[in-house]
Amino acid sequence: MKGIFTLLALLVGWSAVAAQASDSGLAEHPRWKALLHINQGTTWRYQGRSYVDDPDFFLHENGATDAQAELEANIDQLRPPESDARCRFPARYRFLSEQLDWPDDGGLSHCEDYVEWRKAMPQARVALIFPASYLNSPSSMFGHTLLRIDRGNDEDGVWLSRAINFGATVGGEENSILYIYKGLVGGYPGYFNNVPYMNKIRDYAHLENRDMWEYQLNLNESEREWLVAHLWELQDIRFDYLFLDENCSFRLLELIALTRPESGLMDSFRIAEIPVNTVRALDESGFIESSVYRPSKAKELDALIQRLTEVEKDLALGLSQEERVSETDAFQVLAPKRRHLVARTAYAHLRLNNREGERKQEVAARSLALLRVVNKTPAVKEIEPERPVSPKKGHGTKMIAATGGTLGETGFGEFQARLSYHDWLDAPTGFLKGATIEAFNLRVRKAESDDLALERLDVVNIRSLAPRNKFRKPASWFVNFGLDRRFIGNKRHLTRQVQGGGGLSWSLGPVMPYGYAMARAENNSAHDPFVSTAAGAKTGILWYAGPFQAGLDAEGLYYQNDDVSFTTSATLNLPLGPDHAVRASIEREGGRERVETEFSLSWRYYFD
Amino acid sequence: MKKTLLALALVGTSFGAQANAPGGPGCGWGNMVFEGQAGMPVHIVATLVNGTSGNKTFGMTSGTNGCDTSGALAYHGKNMLAQQGIMEEVAQDMAVGDGEALTALSVSIGIAPEDRSRFKQTMHENFSSIFSEEDVTAEEVMSNIRSVMKSDEKLATYS
Repeated sequence: MKGIFTLLALLVGWSAVAAQASDSGLAEHPRWKALLHINQGTTWRYQGRSYVDDPDFFLHENGATDAQAELEANIDQLRPPESDARCRFPARYRFLSEQLDWPDDGGLSHCEDYVEWRKAMPQARVALIFPASYLNSPSSMFGHTLLRIDRGNDEDGVWLSRAINFGATVGGEENSILYIYKGLVGGYPGYFNNVPYMNKIRDYAHLENRDMWEYQLNLNESEREWLVAHLWELQDIRFDYLFLDENCSFRLLELIALTRPESGLMDSFRIAEIPVNTVRALDESGFIESSVYRPSKAKELDALIQRLTEVEKDLALGLSQEERVSETDAFQVLAPKRRHLVARTAYAHLRLNNREGERKQEVAARSLALLRVVNKTPAVKEIEPERPVSPKKGHGTKMIAATGGTLGETGFGEFQARLSYHDWLDAPTGFLKGATIEAFNLRVRKAESDDLALERLDVVNIRSLAPRNKFRKPASWFVNFGLDRRFIGNKRHLTRQVQGGGGLSWSLGPVMPYGYAMARAENNSAHDPFVSTAAGAKTGILWYAGPFQAGLDAEGLYYQNDDVSFTTSATLNLPLGPDHAVRASIEREGGRERVETEFSLSWRYYFD
Repeated sequence: MKKTLLALALVGTSFGAQANAPGGPGCGWGNMVFEGQAGMPVHIVATLVNGTSGNKTFGMTSGTNGCDTSGALAYHGKNMLAQQGIMEEVAQDMAVGDGEALTALSVSIGIAPEDRSRFKQTMHENFSSIFSEEDVTAEEVMSNIRSVMKSDEKLATYS
């Protein structure tokens, strides 16, 4: 009898709680929405419902679309002491027990796996990690972001931290064209991973030669608790991975918004989540406390090389190829600290060239021999590369420009809009020097006597100058496809084109000369064949003068059908503060029948 | 351009092997210092989508068995050294006498902050005996570190 009474009392109590929950609008609570990953209008897809389709993430069958039903199912299943559901959803349990004032009934103490995981999982500090652009991989071109969770409150032992990474999990034998396609339209499963941070340092800074920026977040203990408990809920939960918006950076933004739902992080609509914009959004919302720069192995080598004389550079190069150079008089006459620098340079060079591929016995033996020389000479302090300006301080990633000019005798006005991101004459602060990464760069022009017409559209325009020196011999390359205009016969024609090339470049102080061999395929209305192909060359110089950037270039293309096209240009870009620039350009362009000179002056505005 | 695309496609087709093999060939901490990082093409494809290949790793506490340390949440010296590519960072730091990898090793062994500089100095002085030859394995390096620590009055208390 007493038992039935208790049961009745409990039932009444529960329905009261459930009613209270629906009345109080708990399903609309920002943190509840964050816990369920509900799209509150931040991206195109799935607005008003959860980003997650995975049924394992919900306790109600309509949980993905019905936050209220999911809330009630959670109250039902998380309320009973020692319930299994609590062990799957510890953050939801915390939310409901706080909001509904559930009594202390042991909480999560029965969840052995979770308790064990939490004991081992660090949570002293959280940092957002931004490995800079990686030009050789389409999805990492704009950089990448991940979270780092530290064991302690100092920089000691950061290598022992955990990295939280959201990425697509690729399993089958598929080629990369399919990857890109599926990445754009959806169809890749995205999962959160929790891996050793030192492996990420190895992947980015050591193997891919990407500088890393580590932004310390000012999350307090309670906020970090939300984050870590929710990570457990995300284990093996499938998301969709989309390159443009629902990517690595966006999912991290969601995680951080959960820790402080009132921060307004997810309030504005985000067309394409470029990692550096994630960093900026966090900075603007007051999350970022400090930043640490972690140079890549290549930058470390460059910094060492800079400290050496020409004679020492040759010695280091010789030493990296033959350890017996350390016994020569030329090496031995150096002061001990100079020997140390030379040996370290030789070692850094040798390892940089041998990080990839199979282990070679002879290289391993030489590596150790060089380290012994390093070990026996007095260490030299402060040989770290200089810290560049943080990427978050660079110009906005979107740009519009207004241009006026003349082409031959005709005046024109032009409007330009670029979705992303940077060209090599834009202010280099916070970006990679000698790199252009542009996507959806549109120019429409109105000439005096003509209608408004498309002047140029770059769907993708990537140029990478990798300077060569005695130690490093990388190749430079470029790829461009879209629409442009050129003189064919007497008239300028719109062409649908794809072009690319490989070449060499150098860095001489602020000046970067370069040269490319190039090929081009195009479709235009003037030539008979559907596709015309051409081969040619392009050469130029970039000058990063501090207050301004300047470029000179010349290009010649020879078509299979005997057509030719030449362009030479001189451009000056003058940044006016971080958001504006004035750009002046003179260009001489033409073909077999006609050559004209174009003068133009643009005002460029960078935003977002 | 065509070439680049073709190269990309070719890189894609070689996918399927395992990207990371912590512990190296033969497992049992048999990985050697200055190992190459094999399987780079696979790695490039994985970075296309900022992802991982094959298995999902979430860092479970039970992942500390013989070969695969990628899932282990907590470190001790040996499983840190067994991570691919880490031992050579430790070797470089020891040769120089300082560095993040060496600091992390001292933390993972449990050296108190006030003794870390002594630990580093001792490792630096005994570099040649710890990395005695180029084929030294993670296990041997760890055991060499332990014996160097044992012969140091202060560090002996940690072993």
